[in-house]
Amino acid sequence: MATVALLLAILLAVACVAYVARPFLREPAPADDRLSELSPEERERVRLAEERDRALAALKELEFDHRTGKIADADYRELVAPLRRQAAEALRALEPKALDERSADEREDVHA
Amino acid sequence: MARRRSPARLVVALSVAAALAVFLLYTSLAGGSTPSLRPSQLAGHSGTVSLAGVVLAPVGGDAHEGGLRFRMKDIGGAQTVPVVYTGSVPDLFKPGRDVSVRGQMRNGVFVAERDSLVTKCPSKYAPNKTNKTT
Amino acid sequence: MPELGRAALVVALGLVVYAALAGGYAALRGRRRLLESATNALFAALGAVAVAAIVLLVALLRHDFSFVYVADHTSRELPVRYSFTAFWGGQQGSLLLWLLVLTGMGSAAVALNRKLTRDVLPWTVPILGGLASFFAIVLVFVASPFATAPAPADGVGLNPSLQNPYMMAHPPLLYLGYVGLTIPFAFAMAALASGRTDERWIIATRRWTLASWTFLGFAILLGAKWAYEEVGWGGWYAWDPVENAALMPWLVATAFLHSVMVQEKKNMLRIWNVVLVTGAFSLSLFGTFLTRSGVINSIHSFTQSSIGAWFLGFIAVVIAASTALILVRLPLLRSPTRLESLVSREAAFLYNNLFLVALALTVLWGVVFPLVSEALRGEAVTVSGPYYNFFAIAFGLPLVLLMGIGPLIAWRRASLRALGRSLLWPGAAALITGAILLAAGAGSSPPGLIGYTFASFVLAAIVLEFVRGTSARRSIAGESWLGAFTALIGRNRRRYGGYVVHAAIIILLIGAVGIGGFGTTREARLAPGDAMRIGAYHLTYLGSAQRRSANALELRARLQVARDGKDLGVMSAGKNRYFAEQQTSNEVAIRSDWLRAEDLFVIVDQFNNDGSVFLKVLTNPLVNLIWLAGLVFVGGSLITMWPDAREQRRLARRFAYAPA
Repeated sequence: MATVALLLAILLAVACVAYVARPFLREPAPADDRLSELSPEERERVRLAEERDRALAALKELEFDHRTGKIADADYRELVAPLRRQAAEALRALEPKALDERSADEREDVHA
Repeated sequence: MARRRSPARLVVALSVAAALAVFLLYTSLAGGSTPSLRPSQLAGHSGTVSLAGVVLAPVGGDAHEGGLRFRMKDIGGAQTVPVVYTGSVPDLFKPGRDVSVRGQMRNGVFVAERDSLVTKCPSKYAPNKTNKTT
Repeated sequence: MPELGRAALVVALGLVVYAALAGGYAALRGRRRLLESATNALFAALGAVAVAAIVLLVALLRHDFSFVYVADHTSRELPVRYSFTAFWGGQQGSLLLWLLVLTGMGSAAVALNRKLTRDVLPWTVPILGGLASFFAIVLVFVASPFATAPAPADGVGLNPSLQNPYMMAHPPLLYLGYVGLTIPFAFAMAALASGRTDERWIIATRRWTLASWTFLGFAILLGAKWAYEEVGWGGWYAWDPVENAALMPWLVATAFLHSVMVQEKKNMLRIWNVVLVTGAFSLSLFGTFLTRSGVINSIHSFTQSSIGAWFLGFIAVVIAASTALILVRLPLLRSPTRLESLVSREAAFLYNNLFLVALALTVLWGVVFPLVSEALRGEAVTVSGPYYNFFAIAFGLPLVLLMGIGPLIAWRRASLRALGRSLLWPGAAALITGAILLAAGAGSSPPGLIGYTFASFVLAAIVLEFVRGTSARRSIAGESWLGAFTALIGRNRRRYGGYVVHAAIIILLIGAVGIGGFGTTREARLAPGDAMRIGAYHLTYLGSAQRRSANALELRARLQVARDGKDLGVMSAGKNRYFAEQQTSNEVAIRSDWLRAEDLFVIVDQFNNDGSVFLKVLTNPLVNLIWLAGLVFVGGSLITMWPDAREQRRLARRFAYAPA
């Protein structure tokens, strides 16, 4: 019994080592071995995209809160203008070209 | 660039401080905690305490009529004290078991509160909650 | 085959240590292949641990008593299903289960977020490897499940309290909850290590956090049901340190689930969120430490071994390392946005967090205070029910109130007038309910009455939310009521699923208050033929009966039950004496009356030599709502977790700007 166990254990160990070494065995001499980190501009893009999503979501929430009676008309009028401006700015900050491509989806979001 | 501190932080800090103060006071003033003593530590304590120790044979009497009578000894010590107990008796109760019981010393005998006997379980993963008055 | 098991664990140890060290170096220096190799090591570790688990499982099912663990936790007469669950019935097996779940969940989380954990959060794999290393070290060097000894003729058997369906399910579910909290923690720390302050880690781990929290909550209730039926003292929660061990991380995880919503909407509370996720994870480790080390004077203790010291050391390292990382990244974490108004949904979430964390700290203090007191003053104390109940009510009632107000209040800045209007109907409903209950006699328990009034407030607020939301949708999209209702929930799963979860908590509250505040107890000594009354029930003692099962002698007292003259049948309660384990267990009889919403609970305290019995009988009103709440809780959670194609598209768009 012990020999079977030992054999299986060795098999397991070998399989694991092989699997761990696989990336090096598959690409012994890669062109590029660096982790693709985001460049600062890409990070900025993601941040802007987050802000855009946040602004659009806030607008949608405001709309919904108004419809369901949690915000009075006066407060709604007061809050909606700056929010709309924020959303527009966030959209503008990202590429205008991208704005056109995605505007269809964004409109879908706002009126959902 | 100076930033105005959000009122949120103040609210958080004050609330945490207040909560901490409240339950520190509560527990320190023995509002919710009772001292847990060994038989050798009983001398001098007159109020309600928790007594923890080992049950010694012989165990006599009836917990539901007249009271169960036995002696308890320090875990790892020699001092013993007579105990009289009324109420439910946990299934694990027997001489040699570690138990804990609430009550007061009266005339040299530890008089236990009703249903306050609780056994510490032996060295296994073994829950043994009985007789809890929640 | 214990050698295979031992070897598999050693291989697993090597793999997770490699994942931690090589992965850490790869993350530091940005080496792609090395990180992939470390990731593979984590996956391979799952395989190795699975092999070890299978070895132990086979040994348990075959009653191979040469394994010390098998001899200690099973016996020949033990039914097969309990030989299976004996896997987690002891220290070493449950540690192996923990490592299995950790490598399993860790591998799944990484595999499902392959690109993210390689490019954006490269530190995830080394952190998971590091955490797994602790458990692997303990399993290999301190508490091995594969210790052998000359096989005894028969095993010691499984503790009788664990021989029931609840204890089959409770530990694995609990571990899915505890270990599941590792995932958001690891991702959060990886984000900090990489200097990322965006929400990637929250979004990636949102479902993991929700699922773990759901498992944990459900496991707690399952444990309570076990305590109610199997331990059988008449109650369902005793504030025992080990019960509290699971409650504390759950409370902090609840706070975390709420405050991440604020971070998503307003980019606030970023520091608070990483602190909370660290707290939840540390408390889950602390919870398992409490159960294993026997350190706490509780009735629920493991063997007193050196394992306690190891765990305490590990917890200290985790807390120290996380704190250091948070402090280093503090400048990055500071939020650019501020709280606009103390009367807003953000503020409501903040208050909710404060109360939840306060409650968790209260419970923690109650658990730790006896130790502190013994260490500093040399005098041990016990902290019991009254302390916990006081704070549960003090912090719980405001929380319930917030559950009602929160959904009705707007984000950013709420109009007080609009808020007042929103609160009008639920407030009125609450007062009317309170008055009705008072007239019905609920004034016998003032906290109970207040609890019920608040509960009806929240339920009315939830109904109002559903009604207003549905009618708003109808006015936008012109759908039917049913169509609007389903569309409303479908498009706002997190919000409305959350409301269902709130409703579940309220149902739980109603049940808890019912059994806690409005139950009755009677004790009696009955000879055969004698009768006793409790409430409207009439019980007659018919006599005792004995029966032999596979591994126990079952003694029962048979009672004829009637109410208002109507016969309700026979109940049998008593004790089981287990042969192999040499232990007795309490077997209560419970009669659930669904129409009157109460349980009749019979405990046999003592079989006397003269043929009489000592009985303790209780009525527990509304207790079954507690279990119902568990089901509603899981249902609501599922709604919140249900994948939303629209949301996925939106997120894909956002991150399409970046290559990851």
